Amino acid sequence: MNDVKIKKPCKEKVKYEIQIEVYGVKICIKSNRKSFFEEIKKQLYKTIPVKFETVADQISEYIFYLNAVENNLYEFCVNDENLGKATKATILEVFDSKLRITIAEFAVSKVFLHAGVVEWKGKAIIIPANSLQGKTTLVTELVKKGALYYSDEYAVIDENGFVHPFPKMLSLRGIVDKHTQVDYAVETLGGRAGSERIPVGLFLLTGFELGWKPKRWKPKFLTAGQGILEIIPHVISIRNNTKFAIKTLNKVAKRAIIVKSKRGEAKEFADLLINFFETNVNYTSDLDC
Amino acid sequence: MSQIPVARKEGLVIQEMPDEVLVYDLETNKAHCLNQTSAFVWKACDGKKSVVEISKLLGNSVSEDLVWLAIDQLSEKNLLESKLSLSSRGQSRREAIKKIGLASVIALPFVASLAAPTSVLAVVSCGQACGGTLNVRCPAIVNCQCTGVPGGATGTCSGA
Repeated sequence: MNDVKIKKPCKEKVKYEIQIEVYGVKICIKSNRKSFFEEIKKQLYKTIPVKFETVADQISEYIFYLNAVENNLYEFCVNDENLGKATKATILEVFDSKLRITIAEFAVSKVFLHAGVVEWKGKAIIIPANSLQGKTTLVTELVKKGALYYSDEYAVIDENGFVHPFPKMLSLRGIVDKHTQVDYAVETLGGRAGSERIPVGLFLLTGFELGWKPKRWKPKFLTAGQGILEIIPHVISIRNNTKFAIKTLNKVAKRAIIVKSKRGEAKEFADLLINFFETNVNYTSDLDC
Repeated sequence: MSQIPVARKEGLVIQEMPDEVLVYDLETNKAHCLNQTSAFVWKACDGKKSVVEISKLLGNSVSEDLVWLAIDQLSEKNLLESKLSLSSRGQSRREAIKKIGLASVIALPFVASLAAPTSVLAVVSCGQACGGTLNVRCPAIVNCQCTGVPGGATGTCSGA
């Protein structure tokens, strides 16, 4: 139990604001202190790794308030919900997470899956998984082997079933401690980020298992229905936009392979995955769909 | 007890696929994947056909037990208008499967289900700040809990 209900929303004396529209989600960000507001604006480009519009006089559905309050503390509200006070670094961290998840949940004409994504020879490998399942580790290894980086957090799928890049900084754990994330630009790993929408070649539903080392890797092939069923728990907007999400996933599942398997260490597993992809995925173009 | 099963249609998002049907229940936020046999039975539950008639539609050699096995699962998943179960016939699923036998020419009916996640808006990632005066939740995954104290010290969402 870690909920603290603070009733008073933080709406007083807010002088600075920026209005943005990302994937059709209209958001206004407000602050009462200019220097803090400038830091927030800088962070926006890190939080949202895709082009977005700044707009004037829009009616925003989501208003984020980040205000400096007493004793070097900062306060954060989303609409009427007060998320509490903390240090500047903590508030910016929570803001980063909230902003991204708001966009993911309410994006128009896009389905956001919690997943790692890379491109291999023109098609996407999507690895849907919860936090702490090693998405970033596996994505990092695939990038080191030449895959184009699309995201370590979200697969952004459009209504025609194509994946768009969401190339935020890779958030690696295990450097400071088991849980703290340290951000790296994909270029520092010798990789590159993709910039085009691409069709999906493979969905891999996997989880790390210590000591997993098969003689020959034989993942279980899932039917489209079984696959979508297993992907649904990773769809951020499934409750808000069920019909669109399922229709979109069905389009993707018609053309992609969906497999399920345990995996071992990411470095060795990345080779198995690439070999499997090259053997099983059809490379004929389906960009005309 | 009525033996005229009726498929539920309200409050569901239905996606037809070549050999299966995916059903999302908007009331329970659960998704169900019906294999070919259970999908056939479900679609045949139009409130007009009896279990015997549905079994004949599936094929002459198909036993009533196979249809009942499908109906039992569909009913359990709340995909029928009213409850119908094998137990009301004094039969268990195991007994029904045994009776149908391995020689069945049709795949056994099967309905797989999974629950959708709750809204993630109030959730921060594992490793992020929580507790203290922050009104945020750690993700509902194993080994990721807040080390902070509500109203006390701020902590992080972290595992054991």
